[in-house]
Amino acid sequence: MSTNTTPAERLRDAGLYAPGDAVLSVRDLNVRFNSENGVVHAVRGVDFDLMPGKTLGIVGESGSGKSVTSMAIMGLLPETADITGSVRYKGKELLGLSDKAMCKHRGSDIAMVFQDPLSSLTPVYTVGHQIIEALTVHNPTMTKQAKEARAVDLLRMVGIPSPKDRLKAFPHEFSGGMRQRVMIAIAIANDPRVLIADEPTTALDVTIQAQVLEVLHTAQEETGAAVVMITHDLGVVAGMADDIMVMYAGKPVETGTVEDIYYNPRMPYTLGLLGAVPRVDSSDKQSLVPIEGTPPNLAQPVIGCSFAARCPMVSDACLHGEPELLAVPGVQGQTLGHKAACIKADELSGDADAHKIFQAPPKPVSKFDGVARLERAKVLELKDVKKHFPLLKGALIKKRIGTVKAVDGLSFDIREGECVSIVGESGCGKTTTLLEIMEFHPDQMGEVVIGGVSNKAATDRKTTMAMRKEMQMVFQDPTGALDPRFTVYEVLAEPLENLGMPKAAIRKRIMELMKLVGLQPDHVNRFPNQFSGGQRQRIGIARALAVNPKLVVLDEPVSALDVSVQAGVINLLDKLRAELGLSYLMVAHDLSVVRHISDRVAVMYLGKIVETGDVDDVFDNPRHPYTRALLSAIPVPDPNLERTRERIILQGDLPSPLDAPKGCNFATRCPVFAALPAGKQEKCLTLEPPLASEGAQDFACFYPDGELDADMLVVHA
Amino acid sequence: MLKYLMKRSGIYLIMIFLTTSAGYFLAVSSLKPAVLEQEKIPRPTPEQVAASFRGLGLDPDKNAWERYVEWLGGIVTKWDWGRSPNGAYVNAEFADRVLVSTRLFIASIILTLIIGVALGVYSAARQYKFQDRVITSYSYLVHILPAPIAYFLVQLGAISINETVGQRIFFVTGISTPGIDPGWPAFVDLVAHYAVPTFAMTIFGWAGYQIAQRQYLLDNVNADFVRTARAKGLTRNQAITRHALRVSFIPVAQSIAFTIPAIFTGGFFAEAIFAWPGIGLWSIQSIGLQDVNVATATLAYGSVIFAIGAILADFATTLVDPRVRVQ
Repeated sequence: MSTNTTPAERLRDAGLYAPGDAVLSVRDLNVRFNSENGVVHAVRGVDFDLMPGKTLGIVGESGSGKSVTSMAIMGLLPETADITGSVRYKGKELLGLSDKAMCKHRGSDIAMVFQDPLSSLTPVYTVGHQIIEALTVHNPTMTKQAKEARAVDLLRMVGIPSPKDRLKAFPHEFSGGMRQRVMIAIAIANDPRVLIADEPTTALDVTIQAQVLEVLHTAQEETGAAVVMITHDLGVVAGMADDIMVMYAGKPVETGTVEDIYYNPRMPYTLGLLGAVPRVDSSDKQSLVPIEGTPPNLAQPVIGCSFAARCPMVSDACLHGEPELLAVPGVQGQTLGHKAACIKADELSGDADAHKIFQAPPKPVSKFDGVARLERAKVLELKDVKKHFPLLKGALIKKRIGTVKAVDGLSFDIREGECVSIVGESGCGKTTTLLEIMEFHPDQMGEVVIGGVSNKAATDRKTTMAMRKEMQMVFQDPTGALDPRFTVYEVLAEPLENLGMPKAAIRKRIMELMKLVGLQPDHVNRFPNQFSGGQRQRIGIARALAVNPKLVVLDEPVSALDVSVQAGVINLLDKLRAELGLSYLMVAHDLSVVRHISDRVAVMYLGKIVETGDVDDVFDNPRHPYTRALLSAIPVPDPNLERTRERIILQGDLPSPLDAPKGCNFATRCPVFAALPAGKQEKCLTLEPPLASEGAQDFACFYPDGELDADMLVVHA
Repeated sequence: MLKYLMKRSGIYLIMIFLTTSAGYFLAVSSLKPAVLEQEKIPRPTPEQVAASFRGLGLDPDKNAWERYVEWLGGIVTKWDWGRSPNGAYVNAEFADRVLVSTRLFIASIILTLIIGVALGVYSAARQYKFQDRVITSYSYLVHILPAPIAYFLVQLGAISINETVGQRIFFVTGISTPGIDPGWPAFVDLVAHYAVPTFAMTIFGWAGYQIAQRQYLLDNVNADFVRTARAKGLTRNQAITRHALRVSFIPVAQSIAFTIPAIFTGGFFAEAIFAWPGIGLWSIQSIGLQDVNVATATLAYGSVIFAIGAILADFATTLVDPRVRVQ
């Protein structure tokens, strides 16, 4: 394809040269929205061919146009969207079809799984009704019995236990992972040829993500459908996809096979993205690759390369004309499909080092790094902390019908200069633990010691204030945690005013803080909405640091951020810890981030720590079956490894803490337990394993390293 | 479900008892029928007034508590809600009044509901188009138009129709013509009396439902589950009517149940203007006439209707929202 073709010529060419056997061919897809700020050009020329049975991964950050692309293919964008180009399903043009004509294809030829399973099912209809509806629309002649039988089959296929009864259940009676399975069942009900999955696992826990990805895999095998997998997580697609399309600012910037993209990226953005992701499988502690800046505003025309503003390799030539997506020339063993939209693609050969190109900072060294752990002072200590919620029933007179043991006997400590992370699925008690530490009240069950002050002594305001000065918190959602009506100056001044600091000193301290977290000091009079997500989280960090605490509690500090921005914030946290000698207590669900930033880790399950120790010991040699399962659930951004590794797929969801089992909490889902002979199982069911030290770490299991149940092991050959 | 309704009914019974008792104390301490007796000619002596009231169970010399016990005793033992200062029995008039009110409002309640919800759906489906703007503007206009003026306008319209035709087709006031033959003539007479108030209350009544239904539906039109339904192969309109509508009807169903009692008990404008002497008018008049027992009885009726409305609201919600059923 020459560089000087007009869109009309490219469309014609596409019609002529598109592979005849492609199920879906997209050519020069452009989507524009009218907004208050002018026309937003959300998708700017997307081309791809999807072959039968193959999987295409579309990767990009939020706002890159990947979801809009999928919605345009489905014909689900609002009528006001201006869509041009061509979308062909088996050679038939879909763009421009009426809603009614498009309905013949939607759900039967092309089906879709959406991101948020909690809101994607109609709350007032049963799950069965919603599956059967999808069958009825496309098979009006099917009998009721046949449809019901098919719905039961579908639910069984996606792994929902006792499917026949569950047909009559309503969506709110299912967990998030179960609902996403139902969504998949609906999508594959009519054996579609193309299945589009838009961030299907983003809202789910890692263990549930692994289950759902497994279900998608099965669904693809059963139906032979081609899959378009849209995600921001490079790990998720590494094992699934055959081809990858990296999108940036509404445009594909690099396409190719998974191997091309992961092992030989030719576009600096792809390179940066790969370097920005921490790896759960490596103890390598170098800094992550930060991609500074933000994507361009698509309401304005893009001049030159859209990535130029953030690219470390940028030169004058990059600013003249947007680079075309061109075949990457002449590397031996190169597939023809590898294309990159970068005039410097040649300079980036297979051994390009993202750390060098993006000038990743060196790994910071803390003054505590040389001191043995036990010689450092304790910053925080928890002794047998418990939080039990009574479960009440009755309208006027409450009866106690049970106890939810949200946190059940937690003991650990944090020393100076170290980062301790608590990991586990949602509902395991991570957040309650943080709340208990923040609560700091003498009536709590168990003892919390912060900087030498015990909660048992916190009877007056002065002690509590002293503790607050020792410990501060950074929250998950930087947008929600900052008052929109406060300027940054006011946000940062508030904690200092509380301490009674004089005005001049406050001003000086705020300027210091802004520099410390990498923000421009002259931005202090702006409001939070004038900052990007990453910058807001930096403000949140600055606020926490204002009073010079020794310990910072981080509650999912980067989970709301895009990958490239996340890397910058993680690097900042690393740097601050080293420079200021801080200690962190972090709660995170992303184990890769945990591995990257933490020194020690505690794995929680149903209110108890099941394994704890140095992060490298626990991650490299997990002993407790739950830790093993959790780690195996994390997808790694390495296609070869991802395709061959054995993974443990836990059955079911986290049980409700109400019906916690009598013996080992984990026995109901344990892959080791399932493989044990009945005689040994007895022990797990009756006795509670104590958290005991063995080898490098502590864990609570009678049969560590035990053989795993074959049913829960999966390898994709 | 039945158990739940029984429980709710029990709670409402206690609440009705409390509001009615409180209302009785308020009425008995603020309404003084003796003052009105003074305007009679010949003016009765205070002793005569007291004696006549004593005979009606309205003894002004007893304190509030004694009268409350007496009044409550009458209701509990004989279902006797007492008498008016003019000697009339509350029980005797009550049923007639309730019947008049019910007949006046029932048709327009059903019509406003159906038309309002239908127009809400219609206008939501055509958001910002011409039809939507007309319908919704009309609803807002009606909202700011005081009810008496609106009813008068309809009456004037009906009168001008009568004049144009030169024959009395519509009656703008009254319930029925006295002395009409039973059968067909009576039915025609009924319709002629019924048409104007029902029409007036309907066209000025649906605005609230229309606006609410439109708003709730629009909130749901772009919901994720509607998108899922469309992705299955339903057209946009099918997805909206089958999925968004039912969800958006949940809050409307609740509001319906709560507006019904308001119309029944607060419809005194309609009752006064169209001269249908129903319960709303009676309750206002009773306060003017310093009539303790009637004021309390209408208050009790209002509480009962409200409780029925609340139970209906619960019932309607459970009907459309399965999430409430599981308990």
